[in-house]
Amino acid sequence: MNPSNTKVDPITLQVISGALHTIAEEMGHVLYRMSFSSIIRESQDIGAGLFDLHFNTLTESEGSPLHIGSIPAYLRGIDACLQGGTWNEGDVVLHNHPYYGASHSPDLCIVVPVFWRGELVAFAANTAHHVDIGAATPGLIIDIPDVFAEGMLFAGIKLYEGGKRNEGLWQYIGHNSRTAKQTKDDIDAQIASALLGAQRMQELLDTYGKETVFGAADQLMDYTEAMMRSRIAEIPDGEYFAEGYLDDDGANRDKRLPIKVCVRVTGDSVEVDLTGSADQVPTGFNVPFEGSTKPACYCAFRAMLTDAALMEVKLPPNEGSFRPIKVTAPKGSIFNPIYPAAAEARFTQCNRMIDLIIKALAPVMPQRVTAGNSATLSFAAYSGIKAEGDYWVFLEVNEGAYGGRPHSDGPDSIDNLMANTRNNPIEDLGMHLPMVCDRYELRDDVMPGAGQFRGGIGVVKTQRLLTDGAITHESERHLDVPWGAFGGTDGAAGRVEIFLPDGTKQDTYAKFSNLRVPAGGGMAYYAPCGGGYGDPLDRPARLVLEDVLDGFCTRAHAFDAYGVVVTEALELDESATMARRTLIRLERRLPPLAEQGAAVVETV
Amino acid sequence: MARIGVDVGGTFTDLVLEIEGENMGQHRVYVHKVPSTPWDQSEGVLRGILEICRIGGIYPSDVRLIVHGTTVATNITIEHNGAEVGMLTTRGFRDILHIGRHKRPENFSLQFDVPWQSRPLVKRRNRIAIGERVMPPHGEVAQPLDEDEVRAAAELFKARGIRSVIVCFLYSFLNDAHERRAKEIIQEVLPDAYVSCSSEVANVIREYERFSTTAMNAYVGPKTSLYLKNLEQKLVDAGIKAHLRIMQSNGGVSTVEKCSKEAVTILMSGLAGGVMGGRWAGALSEEKNVITVDIGGTSADFSTIPDGKVKIMNPRDTYVGAYPILAPMIDLATMGAGGGSIAYIDEGGAFRVGPRSAGADPGPACYGKGGTEPTVTDAQVVLGRLDPDHFLGGGIEIDAELAREAIRTKVAEPLGLTVEEAALGIIRILNSNMSLAIRANSVAKGYDPRKFALAPFGGAGPLNGVALAEAVSAREVIVPPAPGITAAIGLLVTDMQYEFMRSVPTLLKDVGQPALDKLNRVIDELTALCRERLDDDGVPADNQHFVRIAECRYHGQGFELRADIPEGRIDGERLAAIKASFQAQHKRDYGWAFDDVDVEIVTIRIIGIARTRPLAWPELEDAAGSSPDGALMYERPTIFDDRKTYATPRYDRKKLKAGHELSGPAIIVQHDSTTLVPPGYVAKVSGKGNIHINAQRV
Repeated sequence: MNPSNTKVDPITLQVISGALHTIAEEMGHVLYRMSFSSIIRESQDIGAGLFDLHFNTLTESEGSPLHIGSIPAYLRGIDACLQGGTWNEGDVVLHNHPYYGASHSPDLCIVVPVFWRGELVAFAANTAHHVDIGAATPGLIIDIPDVFAEGMLFAGIKLYEGGKRNEGLWQYIGHNSRTAKQTKDDIDAQIASALLGAQRMQELLDTYGKETVFGAADQLMDYTEAMMRSRIAEIPDGEYFAEGYLDDDGANRDKRLPIKVCVRVTGDSVEVDLTGSADQVPTGFNVPFEGSTKPACYCAFRAMLTDAALMEVKLPPNEGSFRPIKVTAPKGSIFNPIYPAAAEARFTQCNRMIDLIIKALAPVMPQRVTAGNSATLSFAAYSGIKAEGDYWVFLEVNEGAYGGRPHSDGPDSIDNLMANTRNNPIEDLGMHLPMVCDRYELRDDVMPGAGQFRGGIGVVKTQRLLTDGAITHESERHLDVPWGAFGGTDGAAGRVEIFLPDGTKQDTYAKFSNLRVPAGGGMAYYAPCGGGYGDPLDRPARLVLEDVLDGFCTRAHAFDAYGVVVTEALELDESATMARRTLIRLERRLPPLAEQGAAVVETV
Repeated sequence: MARIGVDVGGTFTDLVLEIEGENMGQHRVYVHKVPSTPWDQSEGVLRGILEICRIGGIYPSDVRLIVHGTTVATNITIEHNGAEVGMLTTRGFRDILHIGRHKRPENFSLQFDVPWQSRPLVKRRNRIAIGERVMPPHGEVAQPLDEDEVRAAAELFKARGIRSVIVCFLYSFLNDAHERRAKEIIQEVLPDAYVSCSSEVANVIREYERFSTTAMNAYVGPKTSLYLKNLEQKLVDAGIKAHLRIMQSNGGVSTVEKCSKEAVTILMSGLAGGVMGGRWAGALSEEKNVITVDIGGTSADFSTIPDGKVKIMNPRDTYVGAYPILAPMIDLATMGAGGGSIAYIDEGGAFRVGPRSAGADPGPACYGKGGTEPTVTDAQVVLGRLDPDHFLGGGIEIDAELAREAIRTKVAEPLGLTVEEAALGIIRILNSNMSLAIRANSVAKGYDPRKFALAPFGGAGPLNGVALAEAVSAREVIVPPAPGITAAIGLLVTDMQYEFMRSVPTLLKDVGQPALDKLNRVIDELTALCRERLDDDGVPADNQHFVRIAECRYHGQGFELRADIPEGRIDGERLAAIKASFQAQHKRDYGWAFDDVDVEIVTIRIIGIARTRPLAWPELEDAAGSSPDGALMYERPTIFDDRKTYATPRYDRKKLKAGHELSGPAIIVQHDSTTLVPPGYVAKVSGKGNIHINAQRV
């Protein structure tokens, strides 16, 4: 791996580690600060970093987790189809082909080759989610027949050749997106970010020389790998299983889709085997293997094993964290589709898979896991035609909630697992688009999972269209409820409600394509709530009372699930609570009355 | 007259006293340090003031002005002991403060904390939803305010003993009528409560940030206000009739009354003084481009000042802890690095320095107070750069053997290095981390450090100044006259400053006369508010200055940058000038500007300023050709960054005169700071009090 075999001293190593990290952060900063679409500037649905000639990640910015770890797959894909076959100084490559390594087609990748003293030495690259690349329906796509319905596909195309922009391609992009201006300006922001990364890398090479920089980068990857391996080695060897079901593929409503996860731990390596999961589906609800399935598995282990909240210092974010993890998914399965299957709507499957990896490992590492998470996301595309005839398209990412944890409640209303975006300010939306938000707060129609540490509460967000428009929604988990762990109870499933101007409301599926909604109508999204962790009877009554006071828990739920009696005056009745909790414990020890042969008396 | 700057730090309260004018004798300046009194900062402040008056030989009643930098508000946020706050908000949006921006603090973590949920500024039980609705984009009322609900909520707060209340309605930046009316009702029910509306505290678009700022204001406000008024009273009781002024986060000073009402504007009071002091030191040498480097025991702060103008942070970046705060703050980068930063080998074998700190207790190993982990200070001692017998003017006894032992066992042996190599490594990693932060605050924002002088101060700054200047390619190093007390000096060199802002989203492309009229009207109104404040402070009209800023973005972007508004009423020509100013700033910040994208003004900000005469530092006596040997204390072996040991002379800064030149290797010692002049560098003493360090010309 190490071309120079230069052993860099530990002090210089730290100096270069900091420098690499700073470059990546600066690249990410420029990208989201400069960009126009809210999915990039607010949600920060981006990734940026530096890569060596073997496509190893030298460093990456803190963008959105799924972008992190996906760029090497893009680079390998580009390698197989690069226009002209060689990299030249001044080239800028545009790439998004899901069968050439892309994470999914809207995540356009911009790559700038880094030349130093006339020689190609590295790549500066970033990815960003674009609002619209001219797919079958505005913004998001689900019910589509194949990858060609996803819109413009770029494979190893040079947007700049030797410093000169390909004006034909640029003009082509301008006529193949519903939000062409935004798309082009956002691509400019990506180019500015990648050029900056290349320049900073050259400056670093000027200071320390190639041998030292790449020698240090190699050592840093080894270091991160060693840290990850030492954590894997702490897990007892063995096979760990979990399974769950996806609601449907967005078109065939009666067919639920299994996800089967086997985590195989051998020494300091781990394999995630997805054999047995559903076959690929005839809609866009498949997951590109290289660009999405693999990075999602990496994300799961980074979050569990090198949990930033439990580490004194962060690991250098590089290729080393990926190396100990092998991912297996049979060709033709939902996690490894065969060309030309569409594979754009891939997020929720990845998040569900991560949640199942956590579930599989929970029995052997209870201190590092959570109870069942929302493990989905709500990705909504709202669109319409402006008065002057142009399209407007707005992409919104809605959050989920976490399951309870070994030492704390599951966080409420927050991006879950692989998602980590920012919401778009409600007021910003109202000022700029014909939409208005009517409700954005915690759900009160259901209770989260009860436990010693309760599950997080999902959010409800209601968006109303002020002109006629259309909505596409990509979500999950209306059927499979987030599980309770170690005695905690299950959370709550998600829900989507469509309402019309006349006030009628109807629940609908988690996934739907280009649903036309008249002015005054809209959608309310209810996120799933997390499962509880640990026995609810072990939650101090005092804390249950606090939750009742704050409206996180109803009095009835406190009584039923926690055995805590809160009076009408909202005070804790300690003796009644003790009696109630004793009774519940007693009941648990006895088999149900029916099994005892007694007559079952219905009580209200 | 006499005036005092008093800056409260974690360990010491620093003071500077300037005496001048009729019947006061010769112009003179005194500096002083007393231990801080964290349980009540005002005790240390008062003691320090009385002592420095005695040192200066004046009566406390001679003091006309006291400018105070305080960490009172900041500490409330760190210790989470602010007021119980009640909140009224639009029905349907009760949990804006709980949801935040729905982004996790960490990308890769399952056990992360969410501070705004686990330690909310306003508990959910005290967030009461009220029927009312103001609509975008023009602020029309879709649902009138339900006054009965407001009254019922106020009664509930009264019953709960809540005396700090905020009103946060959606789109109030477009129409604040509902917020104002709700406030009236609350004040009827709770006449003594601390009540603030979001449109008063931060009248700008973006609900979460506006609500968070308002909530923080209500959280820190009551205690801060109590502290300031208590201090004011103590001064009166001690016979001090001086005006008391407070340093704000934006580097301007303001009155006790204003800072009590808008406590959120002084959350970075303690840090702002340092930056202003650094700028002042540059100005002493007529240097306008300054990078300030303030290094203390546990943290280091960096700021880039181009052309003498202190930069203000983009409002999108102004966080206090985990909470976004839309109050103007000096653009500075803070990192947990200083003399107390601990060096260690992590579980993967990597050599790390900080961010963990040994703090003041037990402190570095060499303090002999039980600390066994090696710190940056221990490394300096091992390298012979800090002399045990002159540490803090001999105020703290240190043991070099303990420093060696800690470095040997914890770092050197595990890495197979000598103790000296390990100590050099500690300094190098620390300086590398700091230089990355300086670069992020300069190069990454479009400023070329080669055009800047680096001003190191704070107790530990001048030890690292030259190394940092080298690392970031700064032009020269300027060590201020009293590095350990520069933040206090900063308090006496800053202007009185008031800011008002309002969101007026306006696209420049199709601006018509009504939109121009509106912009001009908002500018007039905000200017009038500033003028009113300055009038109240008795600032004469000819000393009232107004800085006018349009915060702009390309239409569709989410982040604004500041553009200057030219003098006069806005017309087509001035609009073009605003646009050009924005384009230039965008190019500077991001290396790119768009020609064909429309520009939008989002917020108008007016800053009213009353200029103050900066502290005059007494000029040094001229060396008149004399040799600096008079200041020579002794010579000791010292290891420099080139790994070589040099017999290095120590000079007493007090005895150095204008024009003296010292060739490195040399060390300049003063009461609370030590300046390192490495081999190959020359230090030149300026008559104005600074020391300039430059590479030796070959």
